[in-house]
Amino acid sequence: MIPVESESSTKNGIKVIYVAKENILPFLKEKKEEGFDTLLMISGVDYKDHLEVLYHLLSSKNNTRIIVKTKTDGEVDSVTSLWKGADWHERETWDLVGIKFKNHPNLKRILLAEGWVGHPLRKDYPMDKKQYVNLADDGEDTVSFDRGEGY
Amino acid sequence: MMGRIQFPSTGGRGTDMEDKVIEVNFGPQHPSTHGVLRIKVKLDGEIIVDAQPVIGYLHRNAEKLAEMGAYPKGMIYIDRLDYVAALNMELGYVLAVENLMDVQVPERALWIRQMMVELNREASHLIWLGTHGLDMGMLTPFFYCFRERERILRIFDEITGSRLLYNYFAIGGVYSDITPKAIDMIKEWTEDFGTKLEEIQSILGKSYIYVSRTKGVGTLSAEDVLSYGVTGPMQRASGIKRDLRKDSPYLFYDKVNFDVPYRTEGDVYARFLVRIEEMRQSIKIVKQVLEKLPQGDFYNKKYSKPMLVRLKATGESYVPTESPKGEFGIHLIGDGSSIPYRVRIRSPSFANLSSIPTMLKGYKIADLTAAVSSIDPVFGEVDR
Repeated sequence: MIPVESESSTKNGIKVIYVAKENILPFLKEKKEEGFDTLLMISGVDYKDHLEVLYHLLSSKNNTRIIVKTKTDGEVDSVTSLWKGADWHERETWDLVGIKFKNHPNLKRILLAEGWVGHPLRKDYPMDKKQYVNLADDGEDTVSFDRGEGY
Repeated sequence: MMGRIQFPSTGGRGTDMEDKVIEVNFGPQHPSTHGVLRIKVKLDGEIIVDAQPVIGYLHRNAEKLAEMGAYPKGMIYIDRLDYVAALNMELGYVLAVENLMDVQVPERALWIRQMMVELNREASHLIWLGTHGLDMGMLTPFFYCFRERERILRIFDEITGSRLLYNYFAIGGVYSDITPKAIDMIKEWTEDFGTKLEEIQSILGKSYIYVSRTKGVGTLSAEDVLSYGVTGPMQRASGIKRDLRKDSPYLFYDKVNFDVPYRTEGDVYARFLVRIEEMRQSIKIVKQVLEKLPQGDFYNKKYSKPMLVRLKATGESYVPTESPKGEFGIHLIGDGSSIPYRVRIRSPSFANLSSIPTMLKGYKIADLTAAVSSIDPVFGEVDR
């Protein structure tokens, strides 16, 4: 049994479990073997002094769902070895919240262009600074703060 | 019948060219990508070796935008996620906010909501059916489907005042009551839509070309479906009988009778049959709502419009709903102010689309459009 840090629940009664960051991969593996076969989404929340990663799990047979949370300073183990769907969700979390996933096979930005500066869902992201994307015919897209170099 | 080809294969060519794999770019401006999907396809002859979707062309970060204003202001961005089923998107947001704030909603408003989302599900599936037929080289079902969808849009126009993006559900109810004229329009529609649907289904389902191009194409096994987090009609076509309207009922879905159609083949044809049957079930639900619609308020008088922007909330809430594409829900985290701290959107198309590499591997390039359109991706929702 992997130790649980604390438990709470959402307003409509979905169980929320906090796990230490180094235990996240073995804990989710244990949960998968218990019957939580679907990973619905991975999301990240910026709490200014720390970051949190959320895993929404669903057991399609027992029709139960839990939310697993872990506090991190910016890096956590990847769960792509457990669910194939974790690939895109982890890429999105890296792209928008800036949480790195260790051992992810292809941790690149998915929604924004490669080379984008900053992670928009961080609370300190400068909203007034525009970035201009230049879509490349071949290879990587480039991003610039200069209006003339993209759109 | 075409099927998946096991590797290694020479793809029908001589063995001397075996390691010559070419890369072809599909989209993002191709009409059969249903939006701005780009797929990097690796081909061995005409057989797909690898397909990697590239997304993000319609990204405007709806999550950040919704985190910048008061709770009711987020609605207009949520509307624009799945723009062909805007009411289903609104429902996910409204239920999460009401759950977070413990808002009581009058019964009549809940019944109206249930009827509207079912009508919108029909409209969404009709768009899918029409464009799916178009991808398979059939022009006729497209016109039939859009003619039927137009009738639904006129009902929406009568009730909400808009045709595509409604902003109709409000915290504590709906913005306007159903008019008697709208009820007549809906009744008329429920009476003859069943036969129209039969007609549209027979155009596709009785065509030898359509059936042979879709049977056994783009299969996803039940394991893959679970592993990728695929939900909705795609999941039910692969033999997993799950529908949130039955499994964790919200609104009054536990008070109406309907069946959950499912198939076990997991191919494009199974998805076609599941969606058609779902449309039949939706007619049933709409008919029952019209019978059971109670009299009363259509919104909670405590939550008048000027009051809405001052609503504050703490805690978190996630209410899963069954959108036409799959499980849609919004994880809301409130910090005690009138602005949500975190709005996380679970978008079904995003997860469904990520299964493309597994779904396409081993099929021919001609099967690509059939398989991609069977996912029914809407890019407002994938890229958010």
